[in-house]
Amino acid sequence: MIPRSRPKGRHHSAALAVFLLVQTSAAVFFVGDAASDMLSDPTAPHSVFEALVAFALILGILFGGWQLRQTLETLRAQERSLDAARGALAQVIAQQFQDWGLTPAERDVGLLALKGLDVAEIAQARSAAPGTVRAQLSKIYAKAGVSGRAQFAAWFVEDLLAEGTSSPA
Amino acid sequence: MAPPISAAGTGDQKGGAVSPPDPWDPLIRISHWGIALAVLANGLINKPGGTVHVWVGWAVMALLITRLSWGFFGPAEARFSAFPPNPRAAWAHLASLLRGKPREHASHNPAGALMVYALWACLIAVSITGLVMTEGKSPVTIAEEKAAVAAGDWSVLVTADEAGDDDNHDSRGKLAKEVHEVAANLMLILALIHVGGVGVESMALRRNLVRPMIRGPQRTRKGSGA
Repeated sequence: MIPRSRPKGRHHSAALAVFLLVQTSAAVFFVGDAASDMLSDPTAPHSVFEALVAFALILGILFGGWQLRQTLETLRAQERSLDAARGALAQVIAQQFQDWGLTPAERDVGLLALKGLDVAEIAQARSAAPGTVRAQLSKIYAKAGVSGRAQFAAWFVEDLLAEGTSSPA
Repeated sequence: MAPPISAAGTGDQKGGAVSPPDPWDPLIRISHWGIALAVLANGLINKPGGTVHVWVGWAVMALLITRLSWGFFGPAEARFSAFPPNPRAAWAHLASLLRGKPREHASHNPAGALMVYALWACLIAVSITGLVMTEGKSPVTIAEEKAAVAAGDWSVLVTADEAGDDDNHDSRGKLAKEVHEVAANLMLILALIHVGGVGVESMALRRNLVRPMIRGPQRTRKGSGA
């Protein structure tokens, strides 16, 4: 139920950052080394060449920095919309649980079941006996009018896929 | 049958409270650990004035320049505007920390921000005095000169002597050396306090503050359910 929380762009942005830092180091070393040449005889072919290389390096750095910032902002926007989607889904679920008339304990168990925990794990999370959890689950299925766990989960997935399918099978 | 219940009780996200990014952006993380390693290496291991020392020093300069530029052009929490130096807020934060109830901040907390600026000031002072001490020679030049001297060509030393024979130059060199050492030692002490501060704050917030600086959250399906 929970989408994977590590976006793909992380590696991309980390690689960009490494690249950027390597480039800055190169630029600092190069400019530092070439500075004496450039200052003593700015118009010599050697100095002109060095200035050109320095300019290209710095341009590359600026571009890399801009790219990195862009990537980071995209990543953040994705995370935000993911959170929003999660929040919306949580609200849908809470509303539906209420419509089915689940008790607070049943809501908790139902939510954990939707998250993919099995009976033993739910029992452990709620420090309850597995038998109790099993009984609560069957009551939930009965109230929701579904045959079992798969249909229970499918109920919400179906809701996501096609809007407005109100009555469960 | 259906009493009014507040929204779903279990497995809720922590909510939208402000807190520093988890993880910090990669440029911050890499420059942070790069500078930390370099400071330890140059302060405690490398021979002062040696070629390696100068190489590492220049690498730190590169990291520092990148990070400081990032303070203008980076994402919101990396920018200086997100953590302006504010001593009064820093005191207030320390007081709240003593009471065990520190507030969360979107970037560095005010006390942490002061520490960041202090460390940066030390780094800048150490870098500039280091440049003065080496007469602005790049590590490449220094390595070449050393190689030349080792090969028997002592002409480099002669020019260095001639440049250094006026008193003014000499006293400037001494002052630079003095400042370089004091700032470097101060930086090591500040770094220790910084580590202690992170530890105390982590305990007070019941949250590992080091982790966002390394890899970020390792959320798992099971972890968020219980």
